[in-house]
Amino acid sequence: MDSKTPIENLYSIEPALSSSSRRSNFSSKSKSLGGNSIREVNFVDLGPKPVKYGSRGAESETYSMSQREINDEDARLVQINDPVKTNERFEFAGNSIRTGKYSILTFLPRNLFEQFHRVAYVYFLVIAVLNQLPQLAVFGRFASILPLAFVLLVTAVKDAYEDYRRHRADNIENNRPASVLVNHEFQQKKWKDIQVGEIIKIHANETIPCDMVLLSTCDPTGVAYVQTINLDGESNLKTRYAKQETLLKIPEKENVSGVIKCEKPNRNIYGFQANMEVDGKRVSLGPSNIILRGCELKNTTWAVGVAVYAGRETKAMLNNSGAPSKRSRLETHMNLEIIFLSLFLTALCTVVSVCAAVWLRRHRDELDYLPFYRRKDFSEDEEENYNYYGWGLEILFTFLMSVIVFQIMIPISLYISMELVRVGQAYFMIRDTQMYDEASNSRFQCRALNINEDLGQIKYIFSDKTGTLTENKMEFQCASIWGVDYNGGKVSSQDQKDGYFVQVDGKVLRPKMVVKTDPELLQFARSGKETKEGSHIHDFFLALAACNTIVPLIVDTPDPTLKLIDYQGESPDEQALVYAAAAYGFMLIERTSGHIVIDIQGERQRFNVLGLHEFDSDRKRMSVILGLPNKSVKAFVKGADTTMFSVIDRSSNTSIIRATEAHLHSYSSIGLRTLVIGMRELSTSEFEEWHSAFEVASTALMGRASLLRKVASNVESNLCILGASGIEDKLQGGVPEAIESLRTAGIKVWVLTGDKQETAISIGYSSKLLTNKMTQIIVNNNSKESCRKSLEDAIIMSKKLTTMSGTTNDTGRTLGAASLTPVALIIDGTSLVYILDSELEERLFELASNCSVVLCCRVAPLQKAGIVALVKKRTSDMTLAIGDGANDVSMIQMADVGVGISGQEGRQAVMASDFAMGQFRFLVTLLLVHGHWNYQRMGYMILYNFYRNAVFVLVLFWYVLFTCFTLTTAINEWSSVLYSVIYTSVPTIVVGILDKDLSRRTLLKYPQLYGAGHREECYNKTLFWITMIDTVWQSAVVFYIPLLAYWRSTIDASSIGDLWTLAVVILVNLHLAMDVIRWNWITHAAIWGSIIATFICVIIIDAVPTLVGYWAIFHIARTGLFWLCLLAIIVTALIPRFVVKVLYQFYTPCDVQIAREAEKFQAEIQSAAVEVEMNPILDHPRP
Amino acid sequence: MSSNAPSSSAGGVGSADSAAPRRNSKRPKYSKFTQQELPACKPILTPRWVISAFMLVSIVFIPIGVVSLFASRDVVEIIDRYETECVPENLRDNKVSFIQSDANKTCTRKLRVKKLMKQPIYVYYQLDNFYQNHRRYVKSRSDSQLKDNSSWNDVSSCKPEDMSNGQPIVPCGLIAWSLFNDTYNFSLNNQQLAVNKRGISWKSDRDSKFGNDVFPRNFQNGTLKGGKILDPTVPLSKQEDLIVWMRTAALPTFRKLYGKIERDLQPNETIHVTLENNYNTYSFNGKKKLVLSTTSWLGGKNDFLGIAYLTVGGLCFFLALSFTVVYLLKPRRLGDPSYLSWNRNPGGH
Repeated sequence: MDSKTPIENLYSIEPALSSSSRRSNFSSKSKSLGGNSIREVNFVDLGPKPVKYGSRGAESETYSMSQREINDEDARLVQINDPVKTNERFEFAGNSIRTGKYSILTFLPRNLFEQFHRVAYVYFLVIAVLNQLPQLAVFGRFASILPLAFVLLVTAVKDAYEDYRRHRADNIENNRPASVLVNHEFQQKKWKDIQVGEIIKIHANETIPCDMVLLSTCDPTGVAYVQTINLDGESNLKTRYAKQETLLKIPEKENVSGVIKCEKPNRNIYGFQANMEVDGKRVSLGPSNIILRGCELKNTTWAVGVAVYAGRETKAMLNNSGAPSKRSRLETHMNLEIIFLSLFLTALCTVVSVCAAVWLRRHRDELDYLPFYRRKDFSEDEEENYNYYGWGLEILFTFLMSVIVFQIMIPISLYISMELVRVGQAYFMIRDTQMYDEASNSRFQCRALNINEDLGQIKYIFSDKTGTLTENKMEFQCASIWGVDYNGGKVSSQDQKDGYFVQVDGKVLRPKMVVKTDPELLQFARSGKETKEGSHIHDFFLALAACNTIVPLIVDTPDPTLKLIDYQGESPDEQALVYAAAAYGFMLIERTSGHIVIDIQGERQRFNVLGLHEFDSDRKRMSVILGLPNKSVKAFVKGADTTMFSVIDRSSNTSIIRATEAHLHSYSSIGLRTLVIGMRELSTSEFEEWHSAFEVASTALMGRASLLRKVASNVESNLCILGASGIEDKLQGGVPEAIESLRTAGIKVWVLTGDKQETAISIGYSSKLLTNKMTQIIVNNNSKESCRKSLEDAIIMSKKLTTMSGTTNDTGRTLGAASLTPVALIIDGTSLVYILDSELEERLFELASNCSVVLCCRVAPLQKAGIVALVKKRTSDMTLAIGDGANDVSMIQMADVGVGISGQEGRQAVMASDFAMGQFRFLVTLLLVHGHWNYQRMGYMILYNFYRNAVFVLVLFWYVLFTCFTLTTAINEWSSVLYSVIYTSVPTIVVGILDKDLSRRTLLKYPQLYGAGHREECYNKTLFWITMIDTVWQSAVVFYIPLLAYWRSTIDASSIGDLWTLAVVILVNLHLAMDVIRWNWITHAAIWGSIIATFICVIIIDAVPTLVGYWAIFHIARTGLFWLCLLAIIVTALIPRFVVKVLYQFYTPCDVQIAREAEKFQAEIQSAAVEVEMNPILDHPRP
Repeated sequence: MSSNAPSSSAGGVGSADSAAPRRNSKRPKYSKFTQQELPACKPILTPRWVISAFMLVSIVFIPIGVVSLFASRDVVEIIDRYETECVPENLRDNKVSFIQSDANKTCTRKLRVKKLMKQPIYVYYQLDNFYQNHRRYVKSRSDSQLKDNSSWNDVSSCKPEDMSNGQPIVPCGLIAWSLFNDTYNFSLNNQQLAVNKRGISWKSDRDSKFGNDVFPRNFQNGTLKGGKILDPTVPLSKQEDLIVWMRTAALPTFRKLYGKIERDLQPNETIHVTLENNYNTYSFNGKKKLVLSTTSWLGGKNDFLGIAYLTVGGLCFFLALSFTVVYLLKPRRLGDPSYLSWNRNPGGH
């Protein structure tokens, strides 16, 4: 073996990981689709390489990637129980982990380096450095560095603290004990000392220290149960198996040795490929043979395994990546305005330097002796010029100095304020009791901190169905067995209340969940298999109980005679089916890898599990081969109808097949998820044939997956149909109302689901997405040409429908209420294959934008992202994707805002999302309430910050015009520095966090108010320019009133500077006060407190004798003129704004304004006039 | 503007404890703060408020304007511009060389009192076009040297007037160097009119900024004399002219207090001023004026503020009126839902 390549490969992983941690996110899914448990594993990499959406090719490519066989060069060799030999050739990572970023030595340089990645800080730094040049020293050294140093220090302390906590956590983690086999006995060792190749023993409820291959467990069949909640958040137990070959070895007694050849470390937590050579035998290992770091061993007394990946190479550590970072739209717009401001800054500086040049030119003959310039320095023997560098340089220096003086024109502090405000907003969103989910005990989570305000401008919502609109808690509803539909189950007699139970040794065993049963069917099931119906029903329920991967767990209850059976499994559909089987008297009691025990109508029967073909997304079915007690062998198969009917023997029982098909159709049209169950009796020869093929395939080293698939399809043929089941996926509470609200708010809701069309449409109806008034356009095509045609027809039709009843204008204003003849587009995944990534995309978009509802069914994960991208590329509207499963990850990352539902299905979606919450209906609160507030607050805050800084800069600028353009500031340099730090920063942050334009109740009552965000009412170019004009006026008032009042007086620079400082600060704070909508005590404290703090600061600064302005404030504040100036400035400066505001509010009121007035004045009238219909969304959660 | 309790969801508080909280429930604690329902006042600009606000401003501003204007008119001011007149006529072509020569620069001026001037009458000199706020100028001083005798050689910030003949200058810097040095002597009816030159500077400056143990040293010894020569035996804290001068003016046209005349001047009295015209403003076309002025509570003579107040007050009165008219002509019911855009638009429903 070439020893060099693996090492290179090992290292080449590193950069790949670090680059992928930004955008790419490994995604995997175990999710029910079409009524089955599907396990898809794919890599979704939206990063550097272009992804082809919708092309099946890309999908299969990723499959092949995850299922490829191990080449020698990609393998790692682990010598069991011989860490020395294992590590002698390649140094595998030890088990100590380091999540801390810095060490004591590297902290300062690395932290500074990272902080200066922000452009804002670089700007700060450049200005501060410029200021250090003696020719340009405008501010004192200390004063100029202080703000930057302060910000850097605060951030550094925060980072250091976080890193310290990480180090401490690492330390605790690294020093946890584990028993490791050393010299034939298990000794306690610290986690960090564990090496690859060592044998480790885990006891019940212990956390697994590294990724290990199971060798043996307390269970004689080698089963171990693990809880993966720390890894993927799924709380159900997962079964892992030790291989028969190692099962009986006892490491203490005999020397276990062997070699494991496994893949390189990767992030796929659901995949593992390896084989093991023990005693000269080759055994293949899969994902069910490995237990991962971070999982906990449950219900298993002990388990022994060999470490294969340790420390940073464990799958848990490789999956530690942060949320992707996005930039909010408001911020993107803001950056444009920042460019305007920098142009404005440049203009100001140019004016100053040109004027300075002109002045110098006109006085060039006088400069030498001018008392206030005196170019000549006579102190030395030779007369020389002092601090004069000639024309060009003087102008350049003037320019640079003016940049330094006017630096805060670019509101750097805004970036910091915005971050603080977002943290505050996130705090309130997290703390909102109306977004707390009782069922999953989960709060709202804010994972991305920089797109809060985008929530106020969402135009498109892309929603997953299962687990997002629905609860993903499956409930068995009805069954069609042998062509007979049993869907009673409405009667809940006393007899049924406790459901089915069995008695074992005087103890009662009962399923944990009670399922409604159909009395007729129950009767048949109890009657045994003597009758014809009875035998079919027997087989049907046997299939339900056996054909799955559910693990029954016996749970103790406080009552010692009663035990509950908890069915743990990865697919909620399977759980529902097993519970249903139990309710009809087919109770699964025990499952090991070799056999299962089913209690059939009180009689315990043991079935040998001869083989199990797991679910895969190509076959869309699974099968189990059972050896029945009567020595016959049967294969039970269950799967999606599309794939099942193709393998069912259609020659016989055609009427039953037809009846079943009809039932299936009716089930799915009422929104049930359907599964078809079939059976096949294997003759001895067939069994032998299958058995040998299965053995060969499951131990194959090359192409095992495809071989197994082939074996499976051979046995899954010529099935005899048993029936079909209908499982209800219940809608989450409040979903119809939520969708209604969102649509009224002018948001387009698209549902993207993997379910089939009938199910999707029926869910669409029950969730009020589709109504009877709508015209449905259905696009189901199998070729590109037919797609084109049906799209074109559909466009014409939708246009006719929408223009018929008047003109639609697509501004969102009318959309909410005025979806005239609403059109719903229903399109399936197959058609999307031809449409996405082709020129038909344009057509689809045109069509979709005419439709008020779009429903896509049968879509693959990458197609979901493709649809989001389709909309995102063509409009500037904001998109939001919401989903719960790993199959939604790509769409969540693609959309502007990604929301994850922290529900039943793992945490992959949550990990990739920007926001996570427990229920779909919280979306209404999130968007209509918090989104609206955040947008309004942030929009106002940005404008205000522009104004606040510009007004100060302009006051400085006006003064410069009266100082020979030499950048003297009357305002004390400390006041300049403190202006945006202390004097004016707190109120804007407080208002940005706390102000609300409308109450929650009003916003929920009139979802149309959300349109303010769509119309960009709070932040747009017009507002920016109006604000800037106002800024110029206000600064002129602030400057010129004192100037004219004190012209030809004895006023000194410091005193008038204090007046200007106070005038600006009070003005700016009152300006904010004028726009505050809700005054609570915090707002009062912040605004008035800032003004008082400014007075105090000015007094303190003027009490320092070494400063020029010593005692100035006391002298000037004693005069009446000072106070009259202040009053005149504030009133005069605010009058235009006030007048415009009053006129605007009174004569062209926006919706928000009217709603505010209504909130205040018309509460009584409203409640009388409008029917008191409390929005059910409000009612659901109660704080 | 009435304070209004927020419309919190009714009965929200009570039900929290009804559901016995699970041991590790993550339910956010309910508080008015976290639910953003703090009691708050929601002011709304109703026409009544707006009109009253404008009326209030005009009611406050117009009287202030009137009072300020009267105060300003009460101030009696005598201004005498003398920089040209005090140069002999034959030398007026080249004033700079005159001012730099050793010629006698004494000059007499007659000032007629037009109105009764009540004591104290402040004597100012006013300079125009003199940029005491020029960056080079304001920086050229050493506050530590002025305060503290021990740091007498701390002249690093005083360039270009830091050293002379190799010795540090006390007080150093351009500001001190350019100290104004015209002198005025007043006589009324051939009687010397006393000018009190004590207490013309800020007490805080005398006490804390200028040391009483710091004496001028090596001052105005350089090639180029800038202005007044200080008595080296008098400590800086007593050199009030210097202290006044060192409080640099904010604007290029400024007055500095010269002294106080502590007696009333009757109308039609004529004051004879004998002045030494030493200060060189000719090189930059600066004007020099002598100002005698009484003060009011508002300071010196300046009509601007009074006019400003009257204007703003009048404007607000006008605005109040016009808003009233507009409101009467075209009222709008506040909070009327029929104005909401989706109700207004006929396309709706």
